[in-house]
Amino acid sequence: MRARSIPKIFSFEYIMWLFMRISGLAMYVFALTGLTIALIMGARTQMDMGTLLRWTFFPIGTHVTSSDILVLEQWINPFWSIMQYLTIIFATMHGTNGLRMVIEDYMDAGWGVHVLRGLLLIAWLFMLLVAFNLIQTTGAV
Amino acid sequence: MQVTLKVYRYNPEKDKKPHYDTFTLEADPTERVLDLMERIKGLQDGTLTFRRSCAHGICGSDAMRINGMNRLACKTLVQDVGKKITVEPILGLPVIKDMIVDMEPFFESYRSVMPYFINNDPPPNGERLQSPEERERFDDTTKCILCAACTTSCPSFWANGKYVGPSAIVNAHRFIFDSRDQAAKERLEILAGQFGVYRCRTIFNCTLACPRDIQITKAIGEVKEAIATGKLD
Repeated sequence: MRARSIPKIFSFEYIMWLFMRISGLAMYVFALTGLTIALIMGARTQMDMGTLLRWTFFPIGTHVTSSDILVLEQWINPFWSIMQYLTIIFATMHGTNGLRMVIEDYMDAGWGVHVLRGLLLIAWLFMLLVAFNLIQTTGAV
Repeated sequence: MQVTLKVYRYNPEKDKKPHYDTFTLEADPTERVLDLMERIKGLQDGTLTFRRSCAHGICGSDAMRINGMNRLACKTLVQDVGKKITVEPILGLPVIKDMIVDMEPFFESYRSVMPYFINNDPPPNGERLQSPEERERFDDTTKCILCAACTTSCPSFWANGKYVGPSAIVNAHRFIFDSRDQAAKERLEILAGQFGVYRCRTIFNCTLACPRDIQITKAIGEVKEAIATGKLD
């Protein structure tokens, strides 16, 4: 049997399909990383469950400053800043693309789709702007 | 046994909106739902309208929703669906009358994937030979009878009729993986688009509905794999 092949097709839909799977897995990795390192740093005795979960899903210093943590520098440093940026970028892109797919599940290829896509893009950029501002002002060293 | 058949009725010339009629009739457990429909049309209500042709599961004319599931009336035995049977037209296509739907949107999607053999090489003197393994590669998807049971059981198609649907993907698969065909790239480009395979949410309704037992969701997965890897073997 002779091998048949064609060039790979990188359509927008395929790239976003791939992205949804990668970002979904990445968010598990980010959350488990935040949770594991927090427990190693003493979260088990220094903070309540609510604080620990807030930290797990978004490891920003303001989530733990009101708890009983001993060394603040452990919780606010460049590593966690990178984690915050990655979490925000992946989570908002994953969610926004999910909404795009819901819209396109129900709408034809007319102008309405373009308008909603545009609004979604603006909403995503706005979310990023607000989140980056939050990280810059309260979460970064 | 006595069977109650609740049938979806809609006559655009008379009815403002659809309604259901109930018919009671004697039936053997091994009779088919199509037999009951024929008996109602012949003996009780001649206005009952439905498509049928071969009545042996080959032509695909009599796909309908029987007790909430897309099936061929000619392959569905009374003993498999019980004494109370509800018969409705397949969903997602405009109803013309009773069980008859407008199949044109379905066939438009079918045509869009170029479901025919394309090979621009000069025809050989004999046949275009193919090994048994090469033929086996797309054997499952050759079985499609275009009854639309799969496409009209798909929520993605219900939500948006522009989605090409499982049946069109199955028929594209039949040629994409045919070693003699040369238009796999064109078909895959169509299926990688906005209304192609990525509208599939892999819920397997199509596979359950297929009266020919085609592994449709698997075929859709293989098309996605071909888009990603470029490999057609």
